[in-house]
Amino acid sequence: MEFYTQALSKVLTVWPIVAMIGATLLGVFIGALPGLNPVMAIALLLPLTYSMDPLVALAMVSGIYNGSMYGGAIPAILLRIPGTPASIATTFDGFPMADKGEAAKALKIACWSSAVGGIASAIALMTVGPLLARVTLFFGPAEYFWIAIFGMASVGVMVGSDPAKGVMAAVLGLLIGTIGIDNLSGQARYTFDQTWLLGGLDLIVVLVGLYALPPVLQLAEKCDLKGLSAAQLKLTNVPFKPGERRKLIPTWLRSSGIGISVGILPGAGGNIAAFLSYNAAKNASDDPESFGKGNPQGVAAAECGNNADNAASMIPALSLGIPGNVVAALVLSALTIHGLQPGPQLFHQNPVLVGGFMMEMLITSLLIFLLGGAVATRVFAQFQRLPGVLLVPSILILMCVGVYVINGRPVDLWVMLLAGIAGYFLEKLNVPLAPIILGMILGPMAEQSVRRALLISRGDATELLTRPLSAALAIATLLIITWPIVKAMRNKRAGAEI
Amino acid sequence: MTIQKTMIYALTSVALATPIFAEYPERAIELTIPAGAGGGTDTSARKLAILLEEALGTSIAVLNVGGGGGSVGASQFMQAKPDGYSLFATWNSPLTTVPQVQNVAYSLDSFTPIASTSETAYTLCIKTDFPATDGAGFLAELEANPGKYTYGNDGIGGTMQLAAERIFQAKGIDAVPIPFGGAGETLQNFLGGHVDIYGGSISTVLPYVESGEAACPIVTSAADVAALPNASGLDALGMGDKETLLWRAILGPKDMDPAIVAKLADVIESSVNDPSYVEFLATKGEVPNIVKGDDLGARLQAEFDGLAEVSKSLGLSN
Repeated sequence: MEFYTQALSKVLTVWPIVAMIGATLLGVFIGALPGLNPVMAIALLLPLTYSMDPLVALAMVSGIYNGSMYGGAIPAILLRIPGTPASIATTFDGFPMADKGEAAKALKIACWSSAVGGIASAIALMTVGPLLARVTLFFGPAEYFWIAIFGMASVGVMVGSDPAKGVMAAVLGLLIGTIGIDNLSGQARYTFDQTWLLGGLDLIVVLVGLYALPPVLQLAEKCDLKGLSAAQLKLTNVPFKPGERRKLIPTWLRSSGIGISVGILPGAGGNIAAFLSYNAAKNASDDPESFGKGNPQGVAAAECGNNADNAASMIPALSLGIPGNVVAALVLSALTIHGLQPGPQLFHQNPVLVGGFMMEMLITSLLIFLLGGAVATRVFAQFQRLPGVLLVPSILILMCVGVYVINGRPVDLWVMLLAGIAGYFLEKLNVPLAPIILGMILGPMAEQSVRRALLISRGDATELLTRPLSAALAIATLLIITWPIVKAMRNKRAGAEI
Repeated sequence: MTIQKTMIYALTSVALATPIFAEYPERAIELTIPAGAGGGTDTSARKLAILLEEALGTSIAVLNVGGGGGSVGASQFMQAKPDGYSLFATWNSPLTTVPQVQNVAYSLDSFTPIASTSETAYTLCIKTDFPATDGAGFLAELEANPGKYTYGNDGIGGTMQLAAERIFQAKGIDAVPIPFGGAGETLQNFLGGHVDIYGGSISTVLPYVESGEAACPIVTSAADVAALPNASGLDALGMGDKETLLWRAILGPKDMDPAIVAKLADVIESSVNDPSYVEFLATKGEVPNIVKGDDLGARLQAEFDGLAEVSKSLGLSN
């Protein structure tokens, strides 16, 4: 443990501190702007730091990463526009809360939940991470298939009042997810000889269109010329009522656990963590009907889940040399450039640097309390005061810039526009949009995993169920599908007895 | 003649009188990488870009265009202007392997070869409980048990798979290829015991060879590799002609000015040979390898033809 004190003394020097504060603020900003996302920001900025002290570079990564996962919640709550894919679940209850005039409360809960999730995750990274990393190796293609199916089962919670429409939306997402080169056969699917479709549709591009354009169009329809006055915004600090925080603790514990478990598995991610946490909170609630109508627990679950994924996603990268997502891959590449060799020996090669990075993940999570609550929220919430005639074009410009810089190609703007128009009409038809994104994320994961598993078992499908871990995951999936039904039936019976 | 027209004529004649490449580069260069940020090609190219910026005295903006095994970035880049301000840092696969299995819009003629930078072999590795330890024994075990062993690779029809299949075909070996999303994912499944054999880059698996958890009996280069002293090169196994390497190069769009190509090739050569870059390459199990201009074009063509043969016989080609 000596190296942690050593690492801490290195981290708590001027430049790493400046980098952490600056990057956390920048992260909140990046997360809050639809289209800009942490992966892109880190990919752009990290190479500029190759000549700097690695701890400064890593301070920047952790600040942007943690800050943006919280930042995504701000537009999700205020405008129903998720700033990052991981904050979709935050819109479910965050926006209804804002609609009820509880925007400040929702932002505060999001801030606290993000910080708590990030801290729990960083502690996991520093303590049990290296031990758990080995466990993730037991997850083969068969297990990944069940994880994807488990995630899709949580669609059930999002379909809203009309299950048929929800399932249709999920199927649409699955279809979109099949576009592009199939990794297992090398065949191009649904590309119509367009080279730009070979890589498939970019998740962020579709997300921005689908989620950001409909609320913008609705704002435009209102044709609001005046905007809100400072008094109407009601952003004065709302203190937690006595006992209010205590009620959130079970949700925080559960969501942290889910976020860390999802994060530690290479290839899963914050998007899935937020959905699963939200689903778990709803299933555990005494009043599941209140979810989607402005229940603070929903905001807490989603925001805690997506931040708890962050530090945990570094566990396989730092302890095994297996990057689970793009941010982890970027961190490993930065370490390589600084002469370190990723792998099981990484920690022994330079415990101060690796330990220091873990500290920085923890400190930037703590900074969210400070910067997220006091500074960022007040500043960003001012956007809401802009009259619609200014807000609508501003958001549209930001969306276009954000989408264009992802791949630097104009065709993405058309994809965004089409997705947006589709989203607008789907909303008018009461088709939920979240299952589309979930299908896009989990469809390819489920398909590739099951085909790989079958290649390995030489076509024997029973192996999907007979491995101990895959069997356990299959049972868990079955439970999550039947649980709401069982609960509804029990409630009905209880109601009948009264 | 109006003043404006005079000005235009004056400016044009000045512009025409000055050789366009006299001061090349006079503005920033955009470097397209046909892979996502954080991968092997990306890291190598970005590290090299830092040295090139210094040598050329201009800034280099890196653009990652991943997808389609590199074909998306290559297709997008081929439309760039051949003015020397758009360069393409790639590994060999998008140019020589991917066109065998995908219908791509580009061919080798769509690019101007400038210089190759570094190269490394692929390797096949096993757990320590495998019934063979050396290269010959490993191949014999595979040969004796057709269809028994699975090997993970970087993707169907990818260079890694073709590198392995060239060896397997020569020996009449039938092993089951399992395509993964990249070397990291292959490693994860190899360490977890989900596939029997790791197939991929050396740098990814190297820490596990050093810790004794994995052993690599074979590399896909003709010569042995210093980082893996126990692995046999293909020369030692009598199959030197089946060599397949992973190598990296910088190209431009077609019809570039030969003077600019020559200048860039020289700057790339000196930057790659910079001790700091050589040392960086060594940590990834790569060595510098400079082939410039038309010789690089010939190398690309030869590899393209060789891989076309393998993929045809595997039934992978389109």
